[in-house]
Amino acid sequence: MDETASYPPIEPSNFDLIVVGTGLPEAILAAAASAAGKSVLHLDPNPSYGSHYASLPLQEFTSYIESQSSDSSPISRPDTDSGYTRVGIATRPMYSSVEITSYSAEPLEQSRKFNIDLSGPRVLMCADAMIDLILKSEVNQYMEFKGIDGSFISDGEGNLENVPDSRSAIFKDRKLSFTEKNQLMRFFKLVQGHLEAAAGGGGGEQSSESRSISEQDLESPFSEFLSKMGLSPKLKSIVLYAIAMADYDQENRDVGKSVLKTKDGINRLALYHSSVGRFPNAPGAMIYPIYGQGELPQAFCRRAAVKGCIYVLRMPVNSLLMDKASGSCKGVCLASEQELFSHKLILAPSFAVQSPFPHSSPDTRDFRLRNTTEKLARSICISKHSLKLDVANCLIFFPPRSLFPEQVAAIHVLQLSSNVAVCPSGMFLTYLSAICEDDDQGKKLLHAAINVLFQAPVSGSSANNNSAENQSETGDARPALLWSVLYTQELAKQFQDVLDNIICTPMPDGSPYYHDLLGATEKIFQELYSGEEFFPKSTSSEEGAGQELED
Amino acid sequence: MATSRNKNMNAKLVLLGDVGAGKSSLVLRFVKGQFIEFQESTIGAAFFSQTVALNDATVKFEIWDTAGQERYHSLAPMYYRGAAAAIIVYDITNQESFERAKKWVQELQAQGNSNMVMALTGNKADLLDARKVAAEEAQTYAQENGLFFMETSAKTAANVNDVFSEIAKRLPRLQPAQNPSGMVLMDGPAQTPATASCCS
Repeated sequence: MDETASYPPIEPSNFDLIVVGTGLPEAILAAAASAAGKSVLHLDPNPSYGSHYASLPLQEFTSYIESQSSDSSPISRPDTDSGYTRVGIATRPMYSSVEITSYSAEPLEQSRKFNIDLSGPRVLMCADAMIDLILKSEVNQYMEFKGIDGSFISDGEGNLENVPDSRSAIFKDRKLSFTEKNQLMRFFKLVQGHLEAAAGGGGGEQSSESRSISEQDLESPFSEFLSKMGLSPKLKSIVLYAIAMADYDQENRDVGKSVLKTKDGINRLALYHSSVGRFPNAPGAMIYPIYGQGELPQAFCRRAAVKGCIYVLRMPVNSLLMDKASGSCKGVCLASEQELFSHKLILAPSFAVQSPFPHSSPDTRDFRLRNTTEKLARSICISKHSLKLDVANCLIFFPPRSLFPEQVAAIHVLQLSSNVAVCPSGMFLTYLSAICEDDDQGKKLLHAAINVLFQAPVSGSSANNNSAENQSETGDARPALLWSVLYTQELAKQFQDVLDNIICTPMPDGSPYYHDLLGATEKIFQELYSGEEFFPKSTSSEEGAGQELED
Repeated sequence: MATSRNKNMNAKLVLLGDVGAGKSSLVLRFVKGQFIEFQESTIGAAFFSQTVALNDATVKFEIWDTAGQERYHSLAPMYYRGAAAAIIVYDITNQESFERAKKWVQELQAQGNSNMVMALTGNKADLLDARKVAAEEAQTYAQENGLFFMETSAKTAANVNDVFSEIAKRLPRLQPAQNPSGMVLMDGPAQTPATASCCS
């Protein structure tokens, strides 16, 4: 049922807001605007929900990134006499250097059993604002989650050590020395004391040991503060990269592009610690949605639909309708030739608008990718064995310089198993990502990590598909790769608005969780509807759901 | 999502069918015993639950309505996931809606799980004078495609409860764990307070 021609015309033809693309920020915005009582039309040219935040079957995944790696030129259409200038919309390439290696036909044969995240590696921190939003907006009733089993930090040989991320984890850790345990315990206590003192004021009794960290220390680099607190280099690395999840090398100032300040580091630590044990069924700090991250945009879209938002997939927008006099956008023209009107428009980041002014350059105006020097290298690996014995779902961090001296950025890794319904049973899906300056640097980073985590079957023997058996013979503990992809994603960070009533949403960022992304999305909502509440607490929950769904 | 706890089981049930066939009306009749003559096409709630008692057990249906996303064929995979049962609704006074119902059955056969219980329901059975779809035609189609068939009227309540009871009877008693299940996040007091070491 994919014949757009058979769609009835969309009614009505005037909306408060038109959203193009169903990525997570667009989905949240559509749901937020609908909850605020706005009439919203939500369109996507694709046959599925999620745009750059989708989870897709293997085949659809590869065709999606390939289709989004090349320019499409806008279809120019003559202006009609409706009084508007039609300005073409093109798609800009968001992915580049796509490199697919298939060592076994097995994954592709079971393509439909995969739900591969375009925005991985990513998890939900239990105390993150994103979880609060999921609860507040009531999309929690559409989704189920599983806990991430653990976090590991890797050395250059791929040896994985537990991240002692809580007091009980410190107690149980077998690799830390007694002195290190004491150092870390004391540090966690200090931070907790500081946070309690900061939050305290009126509430709660001040414990005798609670003392604040000085203003000067809070503004200093977190890595210096950790040294000052007497943490060993190994503990510093764990706190900086596996708990505070810093992207760049925090100790080599020449390359230290973004230095994490102590106050930010402490906030991330606090988020992490309040995530541990927030939900009884998730012992760790992080959870993952069953069926993949792509459930989130679907859930917010469903939420929006419940509040009256109209959904049309498989419907490309060909052009924007510009008012001839004012030059501002008044609506869109669909592939079906229907014209729809709205004073506000939200576009997914992969859409580029041609210059609306005939006298300026005829090129597609690149009004968003300016000032962006960072890209994101991503990879997905499929294997039949877990990276860590008896662990199904876990995070792994490669700190800067752990793989090679010039490694300036940390590499984030997330392994998932079939118990979160993202791959066929018996297989494992591993996501890797790293911030990089260009495609070559990014590939080098990820290849180095992949090489220490996995073994590639000897070329030529791939057809035999016996790599798994070979593994035990050679004594190599690394799982054999069945399939892998590497690619680079653009990080369109800041929207430079040429047209003041068009807003562009962000691409998935390099963070392994949702905090910044949600912040950016909420900011867009405030720009659109200043003064309106972002998801007002609903007076009555959805019928019967509130009291009925108790487990 | 059909999970059994002793003799009580939970089952996700999805509704499919053409706009205006009466999906929401059927649910409203079943859950609340109400009928609204001019039901708006998208209702403000898309999630209901209702328990059906059988002889020795109960089935709690978690009923998902389409929230209007079917209008332009834009239902999300999320909608079908883990559904133990589906009711495909058409309007007996509208031949087109019956043809569409067949397409929804195909879609379900492609997307849903193979042991899903499917009911084909010819709604608006009170409007006999305007009938366009013969009951025999629908019955034959249902038999050929492994569905059970009933004609209902959300207006008079005829057969509405029967459709749900029949589904409850047909649900496999010991549903093998087809889909991995996880935890549902709940806010605040609905949940036993987490015994966490973290701050308040």
